[in-house]
Amino acid sequence: MADVVEVTIVTVRDIFQDEAGRKSRFSDEYKNLSALIILDKQDLIRLKAKDGQRLLVKNDVGSIVVAARTSEDDAHPGIAFMYNSPWSNQLVSDNVCESSIPGFKSIKATLSAAETNITQITEIQARMQS
Amino acid sequence: MATCTGCSLLCEDIEAALENGALSHVKNLCRKGHGHFQAAFTERTVPMIDGQQVDLDRAIAKAAEILRNARSPLLYGWSNSTLEAQAAGIKLAEKLGATIDDTSSFCQGILMERILSGKIPTCTLDDVRNYADTSIFWGSDPSSSHPRHLSRFSYYPRGEKRQKSYEEERTCIAVDVRKSATAKLCSNYYFRVAPGGDGEFLEAILAVLDGKIPRVGDKKKMIEFGSILKKTEWGAIFPGLGMIYSLQDKMELFERLLAKLNEITTFKVIPMVGHYNMRGFNELMREKTGFINRVSFKGGARAHGPEHSVVAAARTCDAALVIGSDPLSALPFGTARALARLPLIAIDPRRSMTTDAAKVVIPSALSGLEAGGTAARMDGVRIKFEPIIDTQLLSDEQIITRIMEAI
Ligand code: SF4
Repeated sequence: MADVVEVTIVTVRDIFQDEAGRKSRFSDEYKNLSALIILDKQDLIRLKAKDGQRLLVKNDVGSIVVAARTSEDDAHPGIAFMYNSPWSNQLVSDNVCESSIPGFKSIKATLSAAETNITQITEIQARMQS
Repeated sequence: MATCTGCSLLCEDIEAALENGALSHVKNLCRKGHGHFQAAFTERTVPMIDGQQVDLDRAIAKAAEILRNARSPLLYGWSNSTLEAQAAGIKLAEKLGATIDDTSSFCQGILMERILSGKIPTCTLDDVRNYADTSIFWGSDPSSSHPRHLSRFSYYPRGEKRQKSYEEERTCIAVDVRKSATAKLCSNYYFRVAPGGDGEFLEAILAVLDGKIPRVGDKKKMIEFGSILKKTEWGAIFPGLGMIYSLQDKMELFERLLAKLNEITTFKVIPMVGHYNMRGFNELMREKTGFINRVSFKGGARAHGPEHSVVAAARTCDAALVIGSDPLSALPFGTARALARLPLIAIDPRRSMTTDAAKVVIPSALSGLEAGGTAARMDGVRIKFEPIIDTQLLSDEQIITRIMEAI
């Protein structure tokens, strides 16, 4: 794999992930639909990563391990998508301007190979209490 | 007939039959609504203090004690509560000298403020069904967020003036950073914007409408977009968070577009509000305080500003009450952690990351299914609903009233 690839993450909605979250925030179904990052094919090639591979997504705010998913959209190198969730929120800064809106749709982060497992919701809860 | 409170369309035509305490048959619910209804039967909360189950009276008394002893309490959530509960919440905030805010402060608030003050023209969804020949989903993806929007109002129905509907008379357009489920449906009328590029996109359309060549973007596509707008008889724009987060302090450009379009034809705007009664909270707050959100009643005053948003107040308050919302899951990590470290009171029908971290948990009845009330649909139309399930659980309004009495 290439060392590190920089991306801007845009969070979006998905009806299947939304439905899973309504049923349970603590289910495997919700985790599997949330702890993923949708990447352009070129970015996956740059990372020498495959669909489903675990990636460490990191920035100044935090880090998470999620699964890579290949985008079916037209080319969007450098732009990645995540479904809005506690996983994506680990990377969102709470430094806000006059508008009070955090940068949910403009998260700068780096991607690299992950040595650990997919981040669990219990780990996120533990971080909040730490 | 039941009303679904799964999103701000508040569909009133839901048929639901129950057998042995579970849903045995439902009709007219979308996938999201089905998840919302199913949720009534799993992971329900019980009254708790410090992780120990207690009786409801003790949980309410403890919540009152925390709020009474706090110097700067924050009351947050409200977008998933009825107008009656919201009104009680605003009274509680006044009584406590608390800060009160809802989800709109970090989502549709900056657009809703312009809608409610009349700076941007709006209409009802029924007008859209009857008259609209062009619907523009801008940074919104109703197929994921408001699944019955297109079938009930904006694309498929045969309205009074649109009997030939989507086959001949309606066009739907998507402006988005990605080819969303809705954008795929709009097929030829999908216009891609770069992340954060909505301001430039707006400037390009304004140039086209002025008969100029746009300086940015795909010129041919922009000219095509401009000509659809000009040919529209009655259009509606449905902005989502994609547009709002991208524009923020450039919202004036959107106002200019609406002014320009309404010189040529008719165009209205309905914000794609997520939670079922966010708009209701904004309307009530505006009526009572002059501001739609982010208000502090400290010292008997009515201060408004970004320092009273949930994101800022989470760091400065010394206790928080969260109702019908899961900020620990929905807000940035820093805000979630700040809230998790506070004496936190969570009023919620179901388990969430917020109830898990709360010092006091108060279970509530699920609006629409177990509790009745009134809510404002995304277009402001007030919808009254009755519960379809009998329950001993208190409604949000009853819980807030009980806390207020205990204080
Ligand atoms: S569109 Fe919204 S209100 Fe209607 S059934 Fe679906 S979730 Fe419920």
